Amino acid sequence: MKLKNVIESPCGIRYVLDQLEIQSSCARRWLLDTSMLVTAEDIDAAYASLRRFVTFVEQVDDSHLNTLQFKLQALKDIRTTIKNLEHGATLDDIELFEVKHLALLSIDVSKLLQSYGMADVAAIPDMREIVNILDPDGLKIATFYIYDSYCERLKDLRVQMRQQPDQADDLLSEANELENEVRSELSEKLHPFAQSIAEVQVALARIDVNLAKALQMKQRGMHFPTISQDDTSRYEGLFHPQVKDVLAKAGREFQKVNVSFGRRPTLITGANMGGKTVVLKTLTLCQYLFQFGFGIPADRADIAIKEEVYFCIGDDQSIEKGLSSFAAEMKNIDAVIKASRENRKLLALIDEPARTTNPTEGAALVAALLKVLSVREMSLVMTTHYDIEPGESHRLRVKGFVDGAMDYSLVEVQDGDVPHEALNIAESLGIDSEWIEQARKELKIDTK
Amino acid sequence: MLPFIDEILRYDSLSIVGLEKNTGKTECLKYVLSHMPVATRRIAVTSIGIDGESVDQVTRTQKPEIVLREGTYFSTSEMHYRQRRLVSELIDVSDENTSLGRVVTAKALTSGKILLSGPSSAMGLQRWMCGMRHFDIDLVIIDGALSRMSSASPAVSQSMILATGAAYSANIGTLVQKTAYVVELIGLELTSEDNIKLLAPLDKGLWWVDKEGGLHDLNMLTSLSSQIHFDGMETCSTIYVAGALVDGFLEKIRQNKSLKGVEIVVRDFTKIFVSPQQFKAFVKAGGCVRVMQKSKLIAVTVNPTSPSGYVLDSDTLCSRLSEAIQLPVYDLLKNE
Repeated sequence: MKLKNVIESPCGIRYVLDQLEIQSSCARRWLLDTSMLVTAEDIDAAYASLRRFVTFVEQVDDSHLNTLQFKLQALKDIRTTIKNLEHGATLDDIELFEVKHLALLSIDVSKLLQSYGMADVAAIPDMREIVNILDPDGLKIATFYIYDSYCERLKDLRVQMRQQPDQADDLLSEANELENEVRSELSEKLHPFAQSIAEVQVALARIDVNLAKALQMKQRGMHFPTISQDDTSRYEGLFHPQVKDVLAKAGREFQKVNVSFGRRPTLITGANMGGKTVVLKTLTLCQYLFQFGFGIPADRADIAIKEEVYFCIGDDQSIEKGLSSFAAEMKNIDAVIKASRENRKLLALIDEPARTTNPTEGAALVAALLKVLSVREMSLVMTTHYDIEPGESHRLRVKGFVDGAMDYSLVEVQDGDVPHEALNIAESLGIDSEWIEQARKELKIDTK
Repeated sequence: MLPFIDEILRYDSLSIVGLEKNTGKTECLKYVLSHMPVATRRIAVTSIGIDGESVDQVTRTQKPEIVLREGTYFSTSEMHYRQRRLVSELIDVSDENTSLGRVVTAKALTSGKILLSGPSSAMGLQRWMCGMRHFDIDLVIIDGALSRMSSASPAVSQSMILATGAAYSANIGTLVQKTAYVVELIGLELTSEDNIKLLAPLDKGLWWVDKEGGLHDLNMLTSLSSQIHFDGMETCSTIYVAGALVDGFLEKIRQNKSLKGVEIVVRDFTKIFVSPQQFKAFVKAGGCVRVMQKSKLIAVTVNPTSPSGYVLDSDTLCSRLSEAIQLPVYDLLKNE
């Protein structure tokens, strides 16, 4: 699973990525092409390297940071050129320019990092030999042509071309042939370095990305997670960056929540508008951020590694595919059940399954789903309004209305009773009282 | 040397615009380039839009490659860079894409021939001009045309030279009239600073500004729409057309009593596709058209020969046109 495959997930990961201050499109492309980390070693290594950058952005002054960011803007994606070099092709001037440009850039960045005492943050292969090949006059500037010093005869021809402009066109043909010979020699000399040139490009992209991740952590109050040892994920002070920003624009504050889930299925119930869906979105987002080596939007997080993440939410995209919302939802959950048989470490987050059908069958479907998935080696977090037998599940409930205000915190509950707050909430929204009162009568609730 | 060469050097950008193919735009570019002090000033040249073939596909006339002198900077597509007939040093490979590859920039180390094909989008041209500043370029020269399908507008440059000629019209009277109209459009005044600030970010649609400076959406995509209503716009002071301004739209505004004296704003003169009659009627009725970007027109050049071989009298053409537009007019071939 690559990052680019999950970017459209409704959990909101695109928002987090869009906020990264990545300097070059090359680095952005590299990041989107990285694979989800599924081993503790890989995740540890990713965070260890990010940790160095976090220290760096905390210590360095802004002008140094800007200098480094400005340098990294010059990083170009030259994979096609590197591939040509690997295949033993003769590079043309534009390609040779690209290689020289990258080599000089890597030396510049290495020197900068060294001067900031950060030389150890990234292993950048040494490109000095490549610069020597492409900069025969030692000018150390990022421009390129087939220099006079590559070939005596070429040098003579060019002198003649300048002296006798009327014959320049004829002389140019011979000069072009000589230039081609030089290009072929240069390409041969560069051929053994193809691998390390590719590595340099990745190393610089990685620096750009890690710097952006570190800055994001600092600016957004994100923290490093620990890797859970008991297959249980625990979050304290969890928030969703995008929802937090939307609320802030409306002058409201995001109420952080604490939540944990493990091998036992977790069922979240609670009033409408109690933020259940936001909790699922945030948990999905955090799982991805964790396994792609980002900071986590929580005060503390201890997260279990998963091999696959399923986030099932009744979204509008199903209509575009021509499926009814019920059919689309069933198919999504079906994929979870099928995957759960394959003994992989899954995390499934399912938002109000079967909500669009009749309550009797809906409740039966949800209860059955809980039973089927509870015996599998996976973590399940599900929200529902249906009143179902708790069984072995771990139950959480949104606290709900307290003194006229919504309390979004999650509390553990033992019984299976779901809160009955829909009418109160509807009333607080200013919904027509004739309707609400009639509903109370239907439920035979004393309205006094 | 013609006097406008000195004037060009007072600006940091110049576009050379041909009113039609074969109006001598390339001749004009060659003339300008051959008189630029490339040894002492950093001068970069590019062409907007794809202008690749060395023979004009429409009229089958020879379309010469540009000859650059040693020291001139130029930007062209990768494909044309590979076909260059000169020795040059690459200084940049940009992310700007054209159908002939990325736009690259180099410095000519010997004189020789090159085909120019630079950025073709409006944003691309802006980025290119900004990019050239990083290389301490003193003057950028843009080879542009109005008849070409390119969204990049030459009006981003500070100064401009207009090339016209028998290819645009084979009748001196008509040619003078048509050219004078374009010159009038190039000379349209800039709208207020406030309007520019307010309207510059809007890249599509139709908008209007009330007398208090409030911005309103006309909820129409283009001025070509047949369903145009101007209800509730009594307080309107300015109408902004982000795309093309056309006859029908101007006519409707003119006929609307409540919009008498309204100012219409377009991005630059290349967005105006209004007949001279309609334009004059609109201005006569008290309306005005202003722009957000304008270039100083330095000179007009003429090519009295049409591609079909018809030749107008150069002296008559120059003097009549000069009289009509109150600007110097030159026949470059004659002045050589």
